[in-house]
Amino acid sequence: MLTSSNTAVPLRDTAQPLLELSNVEVVYDRVFLAIKGVSLKIEQGQMIALLGSNGAGKSTTLKSISGLLAPERGLVTRGNLWFKGQDMLPLTPPKRVAAGLVHVLEGRRIFEHLTPEDNLLAAFPLRGSRQRYQELREQVFTYFPRLKERARTKSGYLSGGEQQMLAIGRALMTEPDLIMLDEPSLGLSPLLVQEIFEIIRKINEEQGMSVLLVEQNATAALAVVDYAYLLENGHVVMSGEAAVLRENPDVQEFYLGGAGKVDYLNVKHYRRRKRWLA
Amino acid sequence: MDFQFLIELTINGALTGLMYSLVALGIVLIYKSSGVPNLAQGAMVMIAAYLVWIFAGLLGTPILVALFMALVGMFLFGMLTERFLLRKMVGQPIIMVVMLTLGLESLLRGIGPGLLGAAPKSLDLGLDMMPIIIGDVFINREYLVGGLIGAAMVGLSLLFFRTRLGTKLRAVSDNHISSWSVGISVERAVAISWGLAGISAVAAGAMWGSVQGVDWTLTALLFPAVAVVILGGLDSIYGVLIAGLIVGILGSVIPGYVDPLVGGGTRDVVTSLIILLTIMFRPHGIFGREDIERV
Ligand SMILES: Nc1ncnc2c1ncn2[C@@H]1O[C@H](COP(=O)(O)OP(=O)(O)OP(=O)(O)O)[C@@H](O)[C@H]1O
Ligand SMILES: [Mg+2]
Repeated sequence: MLTSSNTAVPLRDTAQPLLELSNVEVVYDRVFLAIKGVSLKIEQGQMIALLGSNGAGKSTTLKSISGLLAPERGLVTRGNLWFKGQDMLPLTPPKRVAAGLVHVLEGRRIFEHLTPEDNLLAAFPLRGSRQRYQELREQVFTYFPRLKERARTKSGYLSGGEQQMLAIGRALMTEPDLIMLDEPSLGLSPLLVQEIFEIIRKINEEQGMSVLLVEQNATAALAVVDYAYLLENGHVVMSGEAAVLRENPDVQEFYLGGAGKVDYLNVKHYRRRKRWLA
Repeated sequence: MDFQFLIELTINGALTGLMYSLVALGIVLIYKSSGVPNLAQGAMVMIAAYLVWIFAGLLGTPILVALFMALVGMFLFGMLTERFLLRKMVGQPIIMVVMLTLGLESLLRGIGPGLLGAAPKSLDLGLDMMPIIIGDVFINREYLVGGLIGAAMVGLSLLFFRTRLGTKLRAVSDNHISSWSVGISVERAVAISWGLAGISAVAAGAMWGSVQGVDWTLTALLFPAVAVVILGGLDSIYGVLIAGLIVGILGSVIPGYVDPLVGGGTRDVVTSLIILLTIMFRPHGIFGREDIERV
């Protein structure tokens, strides 16, 4: 069930996926090529992971989807990006949020000086009804009861886990069809990571909301997602069903810390194999 | 010592201070949503005063209509300033942005008198000029109205920042990237805050123009207004109110006793000292937010 990324030629036939990236290339500062032709797709209601080590280009890929490259002088120089069959590349980030995709940034980045409640209010569309706001807020508090208890403290003083929950809850206020989470496990205890991942899975199942989960923590991620892509050096080097990837020796060795220490020979073996796969 | 004299100085100082708050409010409105300290607010107050004078004095429009037209005009003026000057500066170091607002200040200061003549224009808001006398204390009626309007505008701003739009503006001031990521249009939010600063400039321009006439000297209100925002905290609406009162009272009481001894000019010294001492001992002001440090 392993598929190579390059054989997945852009197809726009029968049922179109919710999100489709084809051959996306991103350049920072006009010179630095950070991702080198990434293709991936997410079906409606699917929960997938994008895995890879530091600097692989995971965050860059998410920013190309949400449009948040511009403030960092990044630019999509090649490729296509379709969401619900609509070309996203010309749209500003707020327009993309309105279209139904939302990006929970790496390192939480909540509105520190606002209370959790105001964080939620700020993310709710200006034109939405008051009743809808209250429904959504209650929903967020149901998924993350801890936020309700602390709804009136300054968010900057919440714990790391609570801040992550708030960042996710805040994104839910935009009523997305696709939520993209950039390393929600960062700096959290394994138990809390598991808790948060289970809540995300629950949201995915209950609401039919599609999820794109970016993680370095492959063990935890592969336990909850349906499908995963492996990113290395700006390329997708492998993709497949989560269950299959979990059994893959290379994945076990390099992402799941399975087969003992990594030595030079293994690296060579892996590289060769990676090239073949790609 | 004459106790009555002290009370009179305090009350009139407090009212003057609230009128400083009116000028300072524009600076805080902009800083609170975009992090830009707008040094052109004094000149915006002057332009607003000229606008009111043009409509009311020159064209003879009824004063309420003239004020309304000036409000619309200054709201647009603020939005356009953001659109064509500030937006070009995104990503530039903040010092360049400050310099830009300073450049705008001098430009506007030249334009108003340049087009309409340097002689002060008198602006009649139709207010009763008779002082109010309580016991033996004289209270300047214009300052009383100005002070009440100042307090009302501060109250309105406090309410505004609790609405949905106001909350989005606070979010923008907290973090631009995060705001973008949840669909808030940062550019629009900042433009609105400039428009609101334009509106507050009309209130300030009308009151100060009525008190001291309309000419370039209105731009000098920037100085006490800066003292107010520094003392109160650049992003605190509440601070504008309290610091306005403090700057106004100190700037009235101290000169009241010291000026006769040294021959005048104490008020500016007091204002400068407030700025310097605040920056040295409490850089965020009384109510300004400090960066949240979690260990
Ligand atoms: N704003 C930027 N300007 C220049 N180069 C950047 C910028 N952001 C990222 N890069 C570079 O692009 C590459 C991919 O970075 P990216 O942040 O996407 O990696 P990542 O997979 O998210 O890593 P991590 O797991 O550490 O977050 C890296 O080499 C990084 O140095
Ligand atoms: Mg990253």
